[in-house]
Amino acid sequence: MLKVFVTGLLLTVSASAAMTRGFNQLFDAVVRIDVREVAFEDGAKRLSASIGSGVILTKDGLILTNAHVASPRAVELSVTLASLERVSARLVGWDHWTDLAVLQIDLAEVKRRGLKFTHAEFGNSDDLFVGQTVYAVGTPFGLTRTATRGIISNNRRYFEDNRGVNGYETGSFNTWLQTDAAINPGNSGGPLVTEDGKVIGISSRGYLGANNLGFAIPASTARRVMDGLVRDGTITRSYIGLVPRALQDFENFYSLALNTGMLVNNVDRGSPADRAGLRGGDILLAVNGVKVDGRFPEQLPPIQNMIASMPVGSPVKLSVKRGAQAADYTVVTEKLESRVGEEWVLEKWGLSVRKVTRTYARDNQLDDANGVLVIGVQPGFPADVAGLSRGDIITKINRQAITNLATIQALHTAYVAKPAPVLVEAQRNREVSLYVLKP
Amino acid sequence: MNYRRLLALFLLILLTGHAAELPALWAERVKSVVAVEYYTETETDRRPSVCYGTVIDRNGTIILPPVAINPRITPTQLKEFKVYRAGGSTSVPAVYLGQDALTGWHFVRAAESIRSELIPITTYAAKTSAEPAMAEEVWGIGLRNKDEDFASYLLDSRIALIQSLPQRTAIALHEVAGPGLPVFNLAGEFLGLAASSFGQSFVQFTRMDRNGTPVILVNVEESSVFQVAAEVLPYLGRVPANVYGRPLAWLGASGLQPVDPDVGKFLKLENQSGAVVSEVLEGSPAEKAGMKARDVILAVDGAPLPRLKPDRVVVGFLEREVARRAPGQTLKLTVLRGETRLDLPVVLGEEPRLTTEADRKYFDRIGLTAREFVYADAVTLRVKTSNLTGVIAHFVKPNGPAAIAGLRTDDWIKEIDGTEVTNFVAAAQKLGEIEADAQRAEFVLLVGRGNETAVLRVKLK
Repeated sequence: MLKVFVTGLLLTVSASAAMTRGFNQLFDAVVRIDVREVAFEDGAKRLSASIGSGVILTKDGLILTNAHVASPRAVELSVTLASLERVSARLVGWDHWTDLAVLQIDLAEVKRRGLKFTHAEFGNSDDLFVGQTVYAVGTPFGLTRTATRGIISNNRRYFEDNRGVNGYETGSFNTWLQTDAAINPGNSGGPLVTEDGKVIGISSRGYLGANNLGFAIPASTARRVMDGLVRDGTITRSYIGLVPRALQDFENFYSLALNTGMLVNNVDRGSPADRAGLRGGDILLAVNGVKVDGRFPEQLPPIQNMIASMPVGSPVKLSVKRGAQAADYTVVTEKLESRVGEEWVLEKWGLSVRKVTRTYARDNQLDDANGVLVIGVQPGFPADVAGLSRGDIITKINRQAITNLATIQALHTAYVAKPAPVLVEAQRNREVSLYVLKP
Repeated sequence: MNYRRLLALFLLILLTGHAAELPALWAERVKSVVAVEYYTETETDRRPSVCYGTVIDRNGTIILPPVAINPRITPTQLKEFKVYRAGGSTSVPAVYLGQDALTGWHFVRAAESIRSELIPITTYAAKTSAEPAMAEEVWGIGLRNKDEDFASYLLDSRIALIQSLPQRTAIALHEVAGPGLPVFNLAGEFLGLAASSFGQSFVQFTRMDRNGTPVILVNVEESSVFQVAAEVLPYLGRVPANVYGRPLAWLGASGLQPVDPDVGKFLKLENQSGAVVSEVLEGSPAEKAGMKARDVILAVDGAPLPRLKPDRVVVGFLEREVARRAPGQTLKLTVLRGETRLDLPVVLGEEPRLTTEADRKYFDRIGLTAREFVYADAVTLRVKTSNLTGVIAHFVKPNGPAAIAGLRTDDWIKEIDGTEVTNFVAAAQKLGEIEADAQRAEFVLLVGRGNETAVLRVKLK
């Protein structure tokens, strides 16, 4: 039944996409990705399964997909090739800020089983025009190898989402391609392509409840991130702590010529920019002598990306206007960190925890980044019985400071070996309480 | 069998014997209760409130329960206090005297003309200070609303339980008096004052819509709980010296959290409780005495903290130990730090300027009340208390220009039109100038909210 449907769709595609060789090659390079991943919520380890899409981009089997499809939480990744054969794959790296991840097909398995695959090629996403016909190819709702057609609706859409990629931040450093090609759940990670089959974006998300408002990461960003992930396994970015806002309508107030400067809406407390003396309401005029123009929201991600792309620990000269005064400040960048730290479950306590990161500590006005955040407890287990609950931050166990996950894991292991009451110090909002976990 | 019946009969006669005197007791004791009406004047409106009070002396002094006045309202916003006798349709003016920190009572003094008609509750104090007995029958007074001339009515119940919360508190089977009004035994002796926060609740199914959504009705006009006379009579002399209730003793250990029995056992605290200090406030007496965050307070002046139930009550106990003392007095606290016990003598200070005492001014055209930035704001915002700058948006008029610009109540205004706001006077002057300038189309605010700042453009035209 399903096969008949797919065949029918193929005919439609070939008719309207003029059946180019490029498009056929692309179509054969699109894969379905089945993911089994572990979740640490509710004080227990649980596995869940999901389906996404991806596209093979090199002849040695590197696949580009979304970070929200394949993350380090994945314990099993399998890829369905155009031949409908399944092979396993491993995660090369992910980057939630741009919602991208790279997988490597298990080449030994491919060779052993005598399988074949083709790969697609990147197009130039900077040359796209609004109204240009594009296709989204992927696995919507598990319907393998589905192509949908639409146009580029906007080629420079801005949006940031603090929890956009399974709770991780996204969108600060890139703009998005907007398309009306149908993008449904399962399309995630599949390519957005031109009529000749060139990959100009990676389909990522749509607005829930809206009609045909889909978004893709442009190839210009994807290509760069993919190179970085293949090279280093991760993307390292710089952070200085400026939260920008479009200057639109404020130019008169700040006595600025049009298209000059970026408004600093907030300076993160304790960040390099804060320590250097910058503050909300400042106007950033130039970075290392390069003038910035943050008049419209769409212009903010490239400015953020310029700063983020600098090597960690490098000095940056910020030219700033405050009232009538202009001054230069030098700040030294720090490594950008997510709010979301590494997670783990301490099963005998029925306790799921997440490392407190510097960013989380800053957001929540904690004194330091020590401790672990409780993200779930299992009913009836020692943590729940003692009264710990989601949102508590465990700072000490048996009077030992919890500075990292390894410390609490070791304490849990000791408890498993020899169960005895454990004294826990935890903080909720600003209140510190003591709890005893009893065997 | 016969014996039991006889006893029951005997008890019945005894009770009826007392009950026969009730009309006489009632007629006198109802002169100890009053209804108090006052107006709360806010930026945009003026609302009346009614509460009940008990007369405590021959000078017309009346105590009102703690919740009679919203704690966010400042004394300067309270207007036109009036006192009505039970069943009376005419009132006499009264003066608001302030709130006592220890008991939480608000004190009001009625005009001279009514004083001769009132009888202080102390008149009915029992010879012995014994608590009411379990199952003892008790009665109290309720007052109807203003539209019924505050008519008095009888409430009657039996004692079901007496607990330390931390005040000795009697819980009756059902409602026994209006909140803030007295409870008596059958001999007419004063047993205690009805508490305000124990109104009974009912689940009812609304008849207004067809699905019959359950609604919870809380009886706020009657209470089934009262604090016993020993928690009332000794404190009647605590008439505040001023409307702010100063002097106010200050410790500066905040976020006290109780230690539960399991933790107590782990810490080897036998038959006593403790309280964890979450924060030691900057510049506070606790800080000066060397107290540290995460210390566990174990004893006050050598006396271990009692095991009170529920665990939470120990916090109220400690707070009362501070509130009952005066600034300048020394409080010896024993704390557990790690595994070491330490004695910290704390010289209590005077509470820093309260938000209710802070200067404030309303700017109608902007739709904003700016309030002086005080110590408590710095604590809330986690900034150094040593440099208190900016002002707080105390009130943002709904749909006013400031509200439309995105300003919210409790935002911290740091800059006005690009100029740093150093203090309240400067802010009020700047906002006053902007408001007076009819040509002004807009101005810009830099505000802090939580951990972040934002630039807001307020359009005046």
